[in-house]
Amino acid sequence: MGPSSTDTALRLAALTKTFGRKPVVDHIDLEVPRGSFYGLVGPNGAGKTTSLSMAVGLLRPDGGRAEIFGLDVWADPARAKELIGVLPDGLSMPERLTGRELLRFTGLLRGMDLKEVERRAGELLTVLELDRAERTLVMEYSTGMRKKIGLAAALLHAPRLLVLDEPLEAVDPVSAATIKAILQRFVRGGGSVVFSSHVMAVVEQLCDHVAVIASGRVVASGPLRAVRAGRSLEERFVSLVGGRIPEVGELAWLSS
Amino acid sequence: MAVLLIQMKLAVLRHSMTGRRAAQMITGALTGSALAGGLIVVAGRDHPLASLPFDLLGVGFALWTAGWLLGPALFGGGDETLRPEHFSLLSFTPRRLAAGLAGAAFVGVAPLVTLVAFSALVVVAAKAGLGAAATAVGVLAAVLQLVMCVLASRLVTAVLGQVMRSKAGAALAALVSAVILAGLHSSWVLSPLAQAALRTGFPDPFSTWIAALPSGWGLVAVRAAGHGQWPTVAAALTGLAALGVVCWYGWAALLKRRLTTRRASGRPARVASGAWAKGPMTAVAARELRTWSRDLLRFHYLVFALCYALAFCLLPLAIDAPIFLPWTGAVFALWVAAISANLYGEDGTELWGKMMIPDAARHDVRGRQLAWLLVTAPPTLVLTAAMVVFTGEFDLWPWLAALVPALLGGGAGVTVLVSVLRPVPLADPHRRGGNLLENGTDFAQVLLVLILTAATAAPAYFAVRLGPVWAGPVTGLVGGAAMAWLLGRLAATRLESSAPELLLHLRTGVSPKRRRPAPALDRGRPHLPKPDLGLEKLGLDLAPTGRRAYVIASLTLCWVPLVAQGIVPALMLTTGQITRSWFLALHLPQHLQWPTVIAMIALGLVLLTTGLGIGLYYLAKSRRDGIEPDGGP
Ligand SMILES: Nc1ncnc2c1ncn2[C@@H]1O[C@H](COP(=O)(O)OP(=O)(O)OP(=O)(O)O)[C@@H](O)[C@H]1O
Ligand SMILES: [Mg+2]
Repeated sequence: MGPSSTDTALRLAALTKTFGRKPVVDHIDLEVPRGSFYGLVGPNGAGKTTSLSMAVGLLRPDGGRAEIFGLDVWADPARAKELIGVLPDGLSMPERLTGRELLRFTGLLRGMDLKEVERRAGELLTVLELDRAERTLVMEYSTGMRKKIGLAAALLHAPRLLVLDEPLEAVDPVSAATIKAILQRFVRGGGSVVFSSHVMAVVEQLCDHVAVIASGRVVASGPLRAVRAGRSLEERFVSLVGGRIPEVGELAWLSS
Repeated sequence: MAVLLIQMKLAVLRHSMTGRRAAQMITGALTGSALAGGLIVVAGRDHPLASLPFDLLGVGFALWTAGWLLGPALFGGGDETLRPEHFSLLSFTPRRLAAGLAGAAFVGVAPLVTLVAFSALVVVAAKAGLGAAATAVGVLAAVLQLVMCVLASRLVTAVLGQVMRSKAGAALAALVSAVILAGLHSSWVLSPLAQAALRTGFPDPFSTWIAALPSGWGLVAVRAAGHGQWPTVAAALTGLAALGVVCWYGWAALLKRRLTTRRASGRPARVASGAWAKGPMTAVAARELRTWSRDLLRFHYLVFALCYALAFCLLPLAIDAPIFLPWTGAVFALWVAAISANLYGEDGTELWGKMMIPDAARHDVRGRQLAWLLVTAPPTLVLTAAMVVFTGEFDLWPWLAALVPALLGGGAGVTVLVSVLRPVPLADPHRRGGNLLENGTDFAQVLLVLILTAATAAPAYFAVRLGPVWAGPVTGLVGGAAMAWLLGRLAATRLESSAPELLLHLRTGVSPKRRRPAPALDRGRPHLPKPDLGLEKLGLDLAPTGRRAYVIASLTLCWVPLVAQGIVPALMLTTGQITRSWFLALHLPQHLQWPTVIAMIALGLVLLTTGLGIGLYYLAKSRRDGIEPDGGP
């Protein structure tokens, strides 16, 4: 059976992870339809990074399944991993390479043809405006540049599903527009995108599906319109996760 | 301020008193106490000469102070329990911060042990009967000497920290620490001199030098007090205090610099074409070679290995002993192995990128091995050849031709295997400061790899020792290649099976608990009868019966051919003290004895390595499946 036999790009079923005694991800179920642009939102520490790491094979779950186009990530990692491109949050890259070297060596390690790698790398670097920093090591990149080179590495092998953890964080508005355009083009071309974000406006602008995660559980998920339930995503988010605006009188010492 | 920082430091120390840290701290404290006790014993014992205890203590204090000054550079880290950066946004002046941190610097095991060691000043004053005044001076001098020592250590470490941000500085620091370490390791050269000194006293210039060093000023003060030379007492004590103040000022100035200047942005990288990298493995090797040249830490280590090899083999020339010279290349290879066995730890969480690429583990391990050989082999061969020509020791060729390839192959294997099995997590490269000193060297790791790599050359050694002249070089080459291949394969298998755990270890700095699935997850599944606990622990419960039996049998029985029928009769044959007993080889005709011994050793090694290989494979598999919920097919 090939990957085309399923309509689900990513499926998480009862995925669970416990650190110490605290369940950080608590039986999460999630279904990302093929061709969808899927937003994952939730408060800090909700378990987004942990869930995505388990979904792509970077963190071993305590329980549950993660499937990519029907392939079990943990039972058949080689085939599943060929289909995804990943941009994790806060992990290191091959730091002592320039951007171009990073793409070249990553492509070669994937077994790609050198010519093809160089062509794609050149194009990605130009589009993401990293070609101006030809001789800068990734180690010395700014936070936003790191996100961009990470995205380039994730796109290099033309995956079918992109899993991105906070791809737009610390990226300047112009580059953000570029990245959004790239991602939208990717989805139009038949790809699927899952990404986590804290910026509701971006999620509303880009996504057709969204899931809200709080305390390691999915509290709402589905098509954007359904989750929003007639309100703005931000209002809906605050009501779902039970956030609280400080009452008048608290922190009074802050006013001078 | 100081009180607050001391409280913070105590809190941090309390929280880090777990597991390995605590073990390290306790070992350090015990070793230090033993050494300090030794100094006190020296001070309190009877000596044939009145000046001898003072000279001995002078040497002891000088070494102790040198340890404080250079220890952080040699052994990494320094005391960074409280990092100045954490306070840089608070409104302290650097000088106040330096004062506070200086106060906190005196809290800890090391200063305490040092105070005990320096209290030998009091003991020696009392023992030599220099009077109450001299004893009181001893107390004061011990405290001042401690203050000077701790502050000077801070200053020197800070200076080195600044210097080591550049390649030249890294090379210089490597040279200094290599010479010191090699000097310590060849100090046996001095032993005849030292024995003479213990009987007849130290030569005068030596005593003068020892007393002139700041570490000897306390002793000068105590002796002068005994003789009533009070100006000298005052000068020595004031000198200690003044030195302490100067060190503190210098440290405060450097602290300010550290807090206000950022690492200069890197020079543009020199980009090589790397056109030879065309496939997955060569791509990894090309990337590794760039790391060797662009990473200050690796560069520092490489220079260290070279300087150590040269210093260690050249120093005995001081007493006309060129015996080590031909081995310079081999020593270099050993040390490069020892300092490059944390490949994954140094790269940090970058591992995730390889985990996302199918089959990358194998290419990565092989590529790293290739890069290691490309870095290590050429200098090793050049050094070996050059030194043999230089000394004219051409008779050594069978030894060198056997051991050098064996060490190179063994090093290429051991480094990757240890990198995977025993990573030492470091901060991710882009989060590390520019300061090399912050990345402590794990000495247990270094020692482990030195021993393991040397052990891989054992077959070659025995082949030269016991076999015909061609056996050594052949065993060296074949054994080296086999080691590189086998250990690399083990490393790749292990990396493939436990990469998520390795990543978690590197990310959090804590080795993930090797847990079996929680019983709750098993509910609803029929409980199968389990193999006995021992097998389960070894992971053998997952192995098919045949392999399980093979592992157990081979690991239990390999010692018979290897040791009992191999190494022991081999030793008997070399020494000529032959007891036939049950040694098969010794009952055979003469010309068959050596071949039988070698065959036995080979058989033992094959049993051992295959048994271990299969066993480790299933161990890794069981760890992997053990944490997975649906382990069973
Ligand atoms: N290795 C770990 N050990 C212990 N706890 C962990 C570990 N990794 C994550 N956690 C905890 O798991 C919880 C979820 O973390 P996670 O990074 O998944 O959150 P997140 O939703 O990505 O948050 P953010 O929006 O801030 O990125 C946090 O409370 C965190 O403290
Ligand atoms: Mg996160």
